[in-house]
Amino acid sequence: MFYHNFKYSLKTLFKSKDLLFWTFIFPLILGTFFKLAFSNIEKSETFDVINIAIVDSSNYQDNKIYQEVFETLSDKNNENQVFNLKVTDLKQANSLLEEKEIIGYLEFLDDDIKITVKENGIDETILRYVVSEIQSRQALIETLVKEEIKQDSFSIDYEKIYSKIDALMNEEVTLQDISKNNLSYTMIEYYTLIAMAALYGGIIALTIMNAKLPNMQAVGKRTAVAPIKKGELIVSSLLASYLIQLMGLVILFIYTILVLKVDYGTHFILVIVLALVGSLAGLTTGVGVATLLKTNENAKIGILIALTMLECFLSGMMGITMKYIIDKNIPLLNLINPANMITDGLYSLYYYDTFNRFYFNIFSLLIYSLVIIGLSVIKLRRQKYDKL
Amino acid sequence: MENVIEVLNLTKKYKDLIAVDNLSFNVKKGEILGLLGPNGSGKTTTINCLLSLLNYDQGLIKIFGQEMKPTSYDIKAKIGVIFQEVAVFEELTVYENIDYFCGLYIKDKETRKKYVQDALDLVGIKEFSKFYPKQLSGGLLRRLNIACGIAHKPKLIFLDEPTVAVDPQSRSNILEGIKKLRDEGATIVYTTHYMEEVEILCDQIIILDNGKIIAEGTSDKLKELTDIEEKITVEIAKINPNLIKEIKQFTNVLEVKENTNMLTITYKKGKNNLEELIDYLKKNKINYNKIFSERPTLNDVFLELTGKELRD
Repeated sequence: MFYHNFKYSLKTLFKSKDLLFWTFIFPLILGTFFKLAFSNIEKSETFDVINIAIVDSSNYQDNKIYQEVFETLSDKNNENQVFNLKVTDLKQANSLLEEKEIIGYLEFLDDDIKITVKENGIDETILRYVVSEIQSRQALIETLVKEEIKQDSFSIDYEKIYSKIDALMNEEVTLQDISKNNLSYTMIEYYTLIAMAALYGGIIALTIMNAKLPNMQAVGKRTAVAPIKKGELIVSSLLASYLIQLMGLVILFIYTILVLKVDYGTHFILVIVLALVGSLAGLTTGVGVATLLKTNENAKIGILIALTMLECFLSGMMGITMKYIIDKNIPLLNLINPANMITDGLYSLYYYDTFNRFYFNIFSLLIYSLVIIGLSVIKLRRQKYDKL
Repeated sequence: MENVIEVLNLTKKYKDLIAVDNLSFNVKKGEILGLLGPNGSGKTTTINCLLSLLNYDQGLIKIFGQEMKPTSYDIKAKIGVIFQEVAVFEELTVYENIDYFCGLYIKDKETRKKYVQDALDLVGIKEFSKFYPKQLSGGLLRRLNIACGIAHKPKLIFLDEPTVAVDPQSRSNILEGIKKLRDEGATIVYTTHYMEEVEILCDQIIILDNGKIIAEGTSDKLKELTDIEEKITVEIAKINPNLIKEIKQFTNVLEVKENTNMLTITYKKGKNNLEELIDYLKKNKINYNKIFSERPTLNDVFLELTGKELRD
């Protein structure tokens, strides 16, 4: 039964022209469009060092970590120089910002660091990321020391603390990828394209699920009265959908690499892993919309498309600033947003040398998929309908 | 004979509307039960409850002696359903559609191959096996719908209005197919609002109205419920008002209706009504073209019991 349904689900999906277009053709068209639209921009685009200022104060002078990081990132002899730093007073900093001499400045308050920017763009985002990264490292070190002291207050192992701090400090989070060679708008667009193609799995899953639900389609009624367990029917159908989805991604990768000459860089395998897991999350979103919502077929398709677009928008696909705004103000929303998990995972490969954030996103996507599938199975088990 | 279906006090409500009202009936093995009633009388809802697709508010449903539940896979394996809506995949050919649905019941590939051929033969669409559903006419599509529901050779078949909107040739083909299925030993529940089909096919008939059983029995038994004995229709070139008046005076005449040059005379009990009418026409030198007598129909029964036509 499993193979029988799997085989026919594949056949049905392969013969659905609409689905084939959106899964196989549309991402290629969009990829070609990106190539045509952005390649010229890319050629003329070079990464300029970002002009920033820091308001001089005793708080800043006491904060050796920030001083060291910003000095390193602003070192003209450093081939990965990111910032051009001016340490000045508040009045001068404001004046520089007004005259657009700098994109923003930092003020070291007693218990916080205030970032003042005039606009929201990629440069401002980089500044925020740097500050956020230093803050999280600093917090980690503080926790480490506190824990060590708490464990044995009589004999603090200073060497152990130093070695851990040393390890943390030497762990490279130097944002080396945001260099002239790698900061590519086109690359971000291709990552976006992969995320979008992965999330399109939802539409395939929704289509195949509707054909299994008696309250959606007449064929669903027919399968519901057959002596086949719903789990078997749904898993075999979804496996076929996943396979189609993966074929779409393979074609997209082959096309972008061989025809559009896209260089996915050193983390290509991880990009593929994220695309595979992202597709699974897209697929389960479709299953969730199909099973958990009580509305008609067309409304479900509309809801799924709107949901995917909203998720993409909130995750920064149409402008990275939105991602930052959500991260800062409603972080929970991005934690449960599969589109954000995909884009954040791709950006983490782009911005960081460590993979912690990448793996965090991979596991988040897997947990998200499991939760949605679990809820759907509970909803569908032994289900009878009030109305057909 | 053993009961294949046992329904006791089945009630299904949609908010305040009672769609099925305390229904109780049995279907014996090898029998064709006709559920007859106008649109909205509760026929399809009853079938969906029997198949455990719909929740119901009250009642007990047993099929093949066991309570029917969504997980009753043993029972489901013996059931075939032909839904009112055509339930096929547009992306699959006629053969593939039948093979897919048959494959949900029959694992063995060779057996399935034979069963699919049998189903194609039974509904007479063998020559269309490589066609896609959108290439078929409405009638052929209905036949495909039936083939998908019965290819696995079920012991109990539910047919929910299978002949709606089909051409006469397809209808006759479908009815022949159903007779064959009965001859092969299947028990059938057949819903329709076409009384002629029920009269031709069904051993037992249940007439439903507003979710309630208003009459049940064989076709002949149901017709005894009406006062009408027969209806005589006669074609007369010129119908004189006096003629109608005089015919109304005949002993057993209940009603006389005129429709252009056709007179339909409804008789209550009584014999030799046709002879009496012919004698009268001859005596009064009234020329007539056609004259024929009919027994009362199930529509007459329905009309008498509810005051409305079956197809209202």
